Amino acid sequence: MEGLTAAALGIGLVVLGFGALALRRPLLWKLLGLNVASGGAILFLVALSHRPGARPPLVGYPPGTPSADPLPQALVLTAIVIHFATLALSLAYAVSLTERLHTQETERIEEEAEEEMAR
Amino acid sequence: MKKWLTLAVLVAIAGVLACGLSALPPRDDAPPWRGLAMAYGAGNGVAAVVLGARLYDTLLEVLVFALAMVGVRYTLKPLGRHREPVVPERGVVREMADILLPVVVVFSLYLAASGHLGPGGGFPAGAIAGSGLLLLAMAKGVERLSRELHEGTLELLKYGAIAAFLVLGIAGFILDLRGSGFLVLFNLLIGVEVTIGTWVVLHYFAAHRGEI
Repeated sequence: MEGLTAAALGIGLVVLGFGALALRRPLLWKLLGLNVASGGAILFLVALSHRPGARPPLVGYPPGTPSADPLPQALVLTAIVIHFATLALSLAYAVSLTERLHTQETERIEEEAEEEMAR
Repeated sequence: MKKWLTLAVLVAIAGVLACGLSALPPRDDAPPWRGLAMAYGAGNGVAAVVLGARLYDTLLEVLVFALAMVGVRYTLKPLGRHREPVVPERGVVREMADILLPVVVVFSLYLAASGHLGPGGGFPAGAIAGSGLLLLAMAKGVERLSRELHEGTLELLKYGAIAAFLVLGIAGFILDLRGSGFLVLFNLLIGVEVTIGTWVVLHYFAAHRGEI
């Protein structure tokens, strides 16, 4: 049951994050929404590795105890680090873009980019 | 119109994710990972997967991490450099840093060295050591700390860690060597890599934050 609750929460976070990504105008809000969606996906994957009465996948527990599935957890370990790295990179791009165009509104950024292309 | 379209897409995403719930219990126990953990000399199923069965995956992940850090560096470097300190200096932070820093460093080393036996591993260890550096930077000032940590040495360590990871992985694969020692070495190398990456992010975001 805990697994189901956590998975539902993860789906909710993903939907919330993607909603912010689609509907909010400023660039930083969009990145924040993507961040929340990524957290939801991570929670969802961890919830999928849950088993009833599960222990962490450690050899120290006596054989036969139900244990969580280590594969999604290893996947999530990768996802968290890549998430951190890509978030840092996208924030760096956002900083550089704001420095050049003096705005964070995505529509104005698009207009400026089109003007630059036309020139 | 746009809102309804967004809503439809969101519902579709939620539906796709809900299909994944079929992997939830009631289902059998987890796959038999104990044999895998024993074969790689790990006491931790996650470490056996990350550093044993899917080592190449972890190597590529570390490469992506290093590449993103290089990207951060070259994106932020042309922006203006700030001379004034990011955080105003406070005596409390300096005193607490003196007390907390040894604990943080020892804990991070412990996590890296025992990550194959229990909870832990190279990535959390690196993140913890990076936060220790953040604490030190708040106490001493980012500029002073970045002058004391020589950038050339850090670069050498960063790429050296990746190269050592690659050589160790390939040697272990060709010579068919396995064991706990390999896992400890991999965890330490990952820890070094992640620590330096965290420091690069912190340093460049603090020093080259541009002007609006």
